[in-house]
Amino acid sequence: MSSSTKTIEFKFERSIPAPPVEVFDGWLNPEIPGNPWNMAEKLLLNAQVDGFFYWLIRGNSHYGRFTEMERPSRIQHTWMSRSTLGEETMVTLTFKKQGEDTLMTLVHSGIPETEAGRGHEKGWNYFLDIFPCQFGNGSRKEK
Amino acid sequence: MDQLTDVLTAISHPTRRAIIGQLAHGPARFLDVAEPFDTALNAVTKHLKLLERAGLIEREKRGREVFISFRGEPLREVAGWVHEYERFWNQRLDQFERYFEDKKKKGKKK
Repeated sequence: MSSSTKTIEFKFERSIPAPPVEVFDGWLNPEIPGNPWNMAEKLLLNAQVDGFFYWLIRGNSHYGRFTEMERPSRIQHTWMSRSTLGEETMVTLTFKKQGEDTLMTLVHSGIPETEAGRGHEKGWNYFLDIFPCQFGNGSRKEK
Repeated sequence: MDQLTDVLTAISHPTRRAIIGQLAHGPARFLDVAEPFDTALNAVTKHLKLLERAGLIEREKRGREVFISFRGEPLREVAGWVHEYERFWNQRLDQFERYFEDKKKKGKKK
């Protein structure tokens, strides 16, 4: 990536009520809602180190290569799309046992900081969308 | 702290988001706001103070009672800071978490 391009990183945490191995496997199973491979219009997925994925959703293509795969604790893969301006960004997931649950952490790093990424109108709609269903019982971790 | 930081702090906690969700249906009295939560009234008071500091709620005295209502305007400023990947991953992870919660609930019913 060009040294003049500022990049940003996002970190998300969720407490998932299942053991790490189940959560890890769930994240790689396209049948399970919420993982990136679910609801694809077209999906090619080879979830092993140096395996590639192609994911098409709403006409947007996403590509990547798995760089780490340590069942049930860690997954890392690159992530390229129109929104990354064709640059390789990195997605790292960790799964840590937390009592009977799993603390799942997702870090998406190296994202080019662009105005296009910050859709004001879309952002506002996001809040409106999640208000009724998510604000009531969310479990996002306090930072 | 600036208002953006106050608002982000206010919405970062699930209980405060739940309070906002509740108040989005209309104004409520303090005890009504506190009722659904299995937590001390003191803790609810602290949550309300943070929401008030962020401008997300306001209190209005009606006779002998105080009603708390939701104000959505401060969220507009926050919305401008939501990157599409924040939105994308939050939506995905919420769905993923909900799948396992539902699975666990179904397992308990059996």
